[in-house]
Amino acid sequence: MTTTLPATPSATPATDPVGSLRRRRRRRLALVLGALAVLAVALAGLALTLGAASLTPGRALLAAVGVGDDGDLFIVQRLRLPRLAAALLAGAAFGLAGALFQSTLRNPLASPDILGIATGASVGAVVAMLGLGLTGLAVSAGAFVGAGVIALLIWFFAWRQGLHSIRFVLVGVGFAYLASSVLAWMLASADQRDAASALVWTVGSVADVRGTELGVLGLGLAVLAVVVAAISRWQAPLALGDDHARGLGVPTDAARVGTLLTAVGLVALATSVVGPLAFVALVAPAIARRLVDDGGPALSVSVATGATLVLAADIVAEHAVLGVAAPTGIVTGLVGAPYLLWLLATHEKRTRA
Amino acid sequence: MLTSPATVPTAAEQVARRTRRRVLACLLALAALAAVVVASLVLGVRDVSLPVVWQALTDPVAGDVDHQVIAGQRVPRALVGIAAGLALGVAGAVIQGVTRNPIADPGLLGLNSGASFAVVCAVWLLGLTAPSQFVWFAFLGAAAAAALVFSIGSGQPVKLALVGATVTALITPLITLVLLRDQQAFNLYRFWAVGSLTGRGTETLLVVLPFIAVGAVLAAGLAHRLNMLALGDDIARGLGQRVGVTRAVAGLTIVLLAGAATSLAGPIALVGLAVPHAARRLVGTDYRWVLLMSALLGPVMLLGADVIGRLVLPHSELEAGVVAAALGAPVLVAVARGRKIAGV
Repeated sequence: MTTTLPATPSATPATDPVGSLRRRRRRRLALVLGALAVLAVALAGLALTLGAASLTPGRALLAAVGVGDDGDLFIVQRLRLPRLAAALLAGAAFGLAGALFQSTLRNPLASPDILGIATGASVGAVVAMLGLGLTGLAVSAGAFVGAGVIALLIWFFAWRQGLHSIRFVLVGVGFAYLASSVLAWMLASADQRDAASALVWTVGSVADVRGTELGVLGLGLAVLAVVVAAISRWQAPLALGDDHARGLGVPTDAARVGTLLTAVGLVALATSVVGPLAFVALVAPAIARRLVDDGGPALSVSVATGATLVLAADIVAEHAVLGVAAPTGIVTGLVGAPYLLWLLATHEKRTRA
Repeated sequence: MLTSPATVPTAAEQVARRTRRRVLACLLALAALAAVVVASLVLGVRDVSLPVVWQALTDPVAGDVDHQVIAGQRVPRALVGIAAGLALGVAGAVIQGVTRNPIADPGLLGLNSGASFAVVCAVWLLGLTAPSQFVWFAFLGAAAAAALVFSIGSGQPVKLALVGATVTALITPLITLVLLRDQQAFNLYRFWAVGSLTGRGTETLLVVLPFIAVGAVLAAGLAHRLNMLALGDDIARGLGQRVGVTRAVAGLTIVLLAGAATSLAGPIALVGLAVPHAARRLVGTDYRWVLLMSALLGPVMLLGADVIGRLVLPHSELEAGVVAAALGAPVLVAVARGRKIAGV
C-alpha cells in the first residue's frame, strides 16, 4: 500500500522505484478508465439507436443535440436520453457504494443486496405506494427512509465493541428476511394492478425515470461524490486492518462510520430513484479491482464499471429477455448472483488449499 | 468452593435430575402447544367462546355460523399450523445438526425459494391451480436448491448462510420474471409467498402428511448419529458411523420436511432457525431431546405467530409468515451477536 507513504521528493525518476510504480499505476488507471469510457459511449450509442422506432446513429446523435424532426427529438430527448442518464447515474452510485462497503468491511461479499438495505428501500417504497397511495418523488422519499431505517437498525444491532464485518453481514441477512416478509405481505394485501406495479418496483428499473427524479439523483450523487473524495484518503489504510490504519494516524472508528454512512446514502439515493438493481454494488467493484489490480479500493473505476454495467444490463433487459420488457434489475440479478456463488465457491477452495 | 461430600450429587443423581428437567420442559412445551391450539380455535376476527368450540367439535349443529367457522376454518388452520410448524422445527434442527451450524434454516438456506420457483413455474407452464398439486414441484425445487447450496456452501457456518441468501437472490429475479409474464401465477403466488395457514384446506394437508410423517421418522432415526456428528466428522467416523450416509439421509429428511412445509404454508423463514435454538436452551445439546423439543416448539411458534397475527391488526390479519419472521429475526441477530463466528 505504497500510495499512503509520503513520496521521497529528492529521488530522481530513473532510480526511484516508488515513483515508477506510481507512474505505471497512473498509466494503467488512465487506460482502464479510457477503455470503460469508450465502452460506455458505444453502449450509449446503441441505447439511443435501438428500440421500437429504430434510428440511424447519425440521426440519434443529431437529435440528442437538438437537431432533427419532432418525432426524432421526442424519442431521443424524452424517452431514451433520460433512461440512458438514469442508468449511468444509478450505476455510478451503486458502483461507488459497493466499493465503499467492500473496502470498509474488508469483505468482498458485503453488498447492500445481502445486507438488507435494498430490501428496506423496497419496503419503504411499497409502503409509500400501496399504503399511503403516493406517486413519483414521494415514493423515492419512502425508499430513502426505508433504506436508512434498515441501515440504522443493522448498525445498532451489529455494533458490539466496534463493527465486526461478519456480524454486520449476518445481522443484515436477518433484517433482509424480515423486510422481505413484510414486502410479501404488502404485495398480498394490495389489489392486483397496484401489486403488479409494486412488483416491478421491487426489482428495479431505469425506465420511466422522470426529470425531477433524475435531477435529485444527479445532484445527490454529486454531493456524495464530494464527500467520498474527502474521505477517500482513509480507504487504502483501512483496507490494511484497524491496527495498521490506526498506526498510520487514521481515526478508524470515525472513518468507518463516515464511509459506511456515505455508502448507505448512495445506495438509498440510487435505490429511491430506480429501485434496487440487484448486485450492481457487488459486481462493479469486483470487476474494477480486477481491472486496476493495485490492491486498493478502486473507487473511480468502480464508478465507471457500475455505470457501464447498468447501461449494458438495461439494453439487454429492454431488448433481449424472453420477449418481456423486463425491469433492469432482473438482468443484473441474473448476472450478479451466479458471480457471487462463484466467488463463494472458489473462496472455499482457496482457503482449503 | 469446597462442599461437604454429602451434598455433592453422584453422577447417577445428576443424570436423573437432568432427565427430570428435560421431561418437565417437554411437558411445559406440550402445555404451551395445547394453549396455542385452544387460542387458535377461540380467537380471531370472530371470537368464539370455549363451550361453543367444544360443542362445535363434539356435537356440531348444521347451519350454526360459529360452528361452521370452527369446523370449516379454524380446525384446518390449526392442523396446518401444527403440521407445518412441526416440519419446519424438525427440519431446522436436522440442518443445524448435520451442518454443525447455528445459522441454518430451510428459509435461510434457500430451500423455500427453490420450492417457490418450482411452484411458480408449474403454475405458469402447466396451468396448475390447486395447492395439492404443488407438492411435487415444491419437493423438486427444494431438493434442487438444497443440492446447490450444500455443494457450494458446506464448510463454515457463515458461508452456508451467505450461499443460501445468494441462491434466494438468484431465484427471486427468475420468479419475478415468470410473475411479470403471467398474471394468474402472480395472483396465486403473492397469497402463497406471504406464508399463511389459511386457504390450504384439508386436501393439501392429507397429501403432505405422509411426507411429514416419513421425514419425522427419519429425523428420529438420525438423532443418535447427529449426536456423534456433533463431535466432528473424524470422531463420528471413528465411532463407526458412515458420515456420508448420515449426510444423505439428513438431506432427504430436510427436503421432505421443508418441501412439505412450504407447499402447506408457503415459504416461511426463520421458524427452523429459532426453534432449535430455543430447544437447546431448554433441554441441552442431546439431539434426541432437541428433535423432540423442536417438534413441539415448531407448532407452538408457527401457530402462536398465526394467533398473534389475528390480534395485532384491528379489522384484518397479519399472515403467520410475517409474524414468524418478526419473531425469528431477533433470534438470528442474537446468534450473530453472541457467538464468535469464523470469518468468510
